[in-house]
Order: sequence, then structure tokens, then C-alpha cells
Amino acid sequence: MRSRSIYKVPKGKLLKISLNYDEKSNSIEKISIYGDFFAYPEESIDFLENELKGTLLEKKIIFEKIDSIIKKRNIEFIGVNVEGLTKGILMCKK
Amino acid sequence: MKEQWRLLETGYSTAFANMAIDRAVLVSNSRGKVPPTIRFYRWQPSAISIGYFQSLEEEVDLDICKNFGVNYVRRITGGGAVYHDKELTYSIVISESHPKIPKNIMESYRIICGAIVKGLKNLGIESTYIPINDIITNGKKISGNAQTRKAKTVLQHGTILIDVNVEEMFFLLRVPTEKIKDKLIADVKERVTSIKHVLEKEISFEEISNAIKSGFEQEFNIELVKGTLTKEEVELTKKFEDECFSTKDWNHRR
Repeated sequence: MRSRSIYKVPKGKLLKISLNYDEKSNSIEKISIYGDFFAYPEESIDFLENELKGTLLEKKIIFEKIDSIIKKRNIEFIGVNVEGLTKGILMCKK
Repeated sequence: MKEQWRLLETGYSTAFANMAIDRAVLVSNSRGKVPPTIRFYRWQPSAISIGYFQSLEEEVDLDICKNFGVNYVRRITGGGAVYHDKELTYSIVISESHPKIPKNIMESYRIICGAIVKGLKNLGIESTYIPINDIITNGKKISGNAQTRKAKTVLQHGTILIDVNVEEMFFLLRVPTEKIKDKLIADVKERVTSIKHVLEKEISFEEISNAIKSGFEQEFNIELVKGTLTKEEVELTKKFEDECFSTKDWNHRR
């Protein structure tokens, strides 16, 4: 299943998610994160997209996965945050 | 004696060369080869730059760009799509460890945008920095800014609108549907302004660049000394232009 979402992060930027997911296993196959936000270092978004493959499409699981990656790799987001990313991803779910 | 930084006035270049020069100066500064550098530049032909995380085809109407000879390029900085036409573009490159630049990213935006605010004031324009990355005057945006940090070095570049044609801008940038296009143009007209609109007269590029130069000198308490790109920077520019900014791989990567 392929789906997209556009989400304006409160007090932040416009986040656009493109998601391929497996309906049966309820998990992410491929995800692309777009938008006019900032992330330091920039390459961390590519890394995040990769790491999210196979993740269950459940709020708590996605949130904790992203949160642990940004903490582990010292990623700094501006105009987007873990809540916003989680919400944008889940908005893709039909 | 005041600390001296380098001022580069590179005039008009293509979008690819412009982005390559900023990156070349960043690399050169990170290697300790050149002092903190402020650069002023312009775009020929007019061009659209998109933020590092944006989808090119979603933001830019490529066919229309080709038909009208407008270039497009992906930046190494985040942020949104910008149509570069009648504007002064600046960049600043400085080591993250330099005492005059805050370690904190948002604080450094505030300081650097403070130089632009002072520069606009030198032209008689009152403006304010609004986080994350806008400078507004009378509630309308006059400058957009974007920062990256690589190799322990800060690069921030931004636009200062000298004049703006919103219809042209929206002709080139993608908007969701024809139906809301008119409304969007009306909205953006309300939100975007330029030096010409605020002062209700045309002033020369030189006058504007002198005012912004003084803004940087006031904000950072430094003296800007005119310089040129080093041989290494010229070579790096060529390399980044050929291997990165002019390539389909880079521009279409998202």
C-alpha cells in the first residue's frame, strides 16, 4: 500500500511523508521524508528513513524508534520534532 | 584594531556555481585556510533553489523552468524553495568554535539575521527576525535564511528581496491546484515584500550591498576587507559544480 501525508508541524515547518507499507504486517516497507524543515546533520534523515524500514505502524513504537535514533546519533531537528514525524507517518495509514 | 574578515563580492553566477562557491568557502574555512567570510552574490539566469529535504519535482515545475531558461538547484541547507530573481543573496562562513558565533543553532540564526536587520536599518527599513528563519518588515517577509553546519563550520545563506514578482514566482513554483492558485498568490502578496516596495523607490545594488556590509560589521564588531576566492577555492568550486550541483544525481535525489 502506498500513501502520502502533508502535515504542518505546530510552530514548525511543512512535513511531507511518502510511505509504502504492508497492510498485513502493519509495518513500514519504505519511507521518504520531505519538507522545508532543518535537521543537523542533514544526512541523518537518510539514515532515519533506512532505520524505519520494518517498523510497526504503531504510535508508541514509531515514536520510541525515532526518539532513540535522534538521541543515539545526536540529531538536532528545527521546525520538526519526533511528535510531528510520528504523526505525519501515521497520517499515511488509511 | 578590529578583527578583519573577508568580504567576497562575486556578482552574477549560475545557480550551480553559486552553491558550489558557498560550499568551497565552507571547506576552505574548515581547513583553516581562509578567515571568516561574508559573500554577496546574484543569480544569472534566475533560478530556483530548493531545500536539502525537499522533493524537486514536487516543488518545481521543471518544464516551465526549461521553457523560460530558469535554472534549479538543490541546496546543502534545509528550508524551503526560493525563486532567486531580483535580490541580494548573502552567505557567511565561520568556524563553529569562533567566539563571535553562538554554538546553539537558533542563537546563531538570531545573531546572523541581526546583521541583516542592522543592514536593512541602514537603508531606513525597520525589520525583525522571526524564528525560525524569516526577517519581516511591517508583517511581511523580506528575507529568508538557511543554515548548515559541516566539518565544525557554520554556513548560513539567505536572500534579501530587492524587488519581487509574485505572479512569476508562482508560475515557476508548484502549487497544489489551479483553483487555489489565485488565492495563494493573493496570500503570498500579503506576506512577501521587497526593499523597493518598502522604500517606494529603486536603489542601486551597490547601495544595498554597502548597507548590508555595514550591518555585518556592526553586528559582529569586525571590519570587512574585500578579497577574492583563493586558488584552492576556485578549484573546489569547479569540482563541486561538476560533481554535485549541476548533476541530476544531486538535484533529483529526493
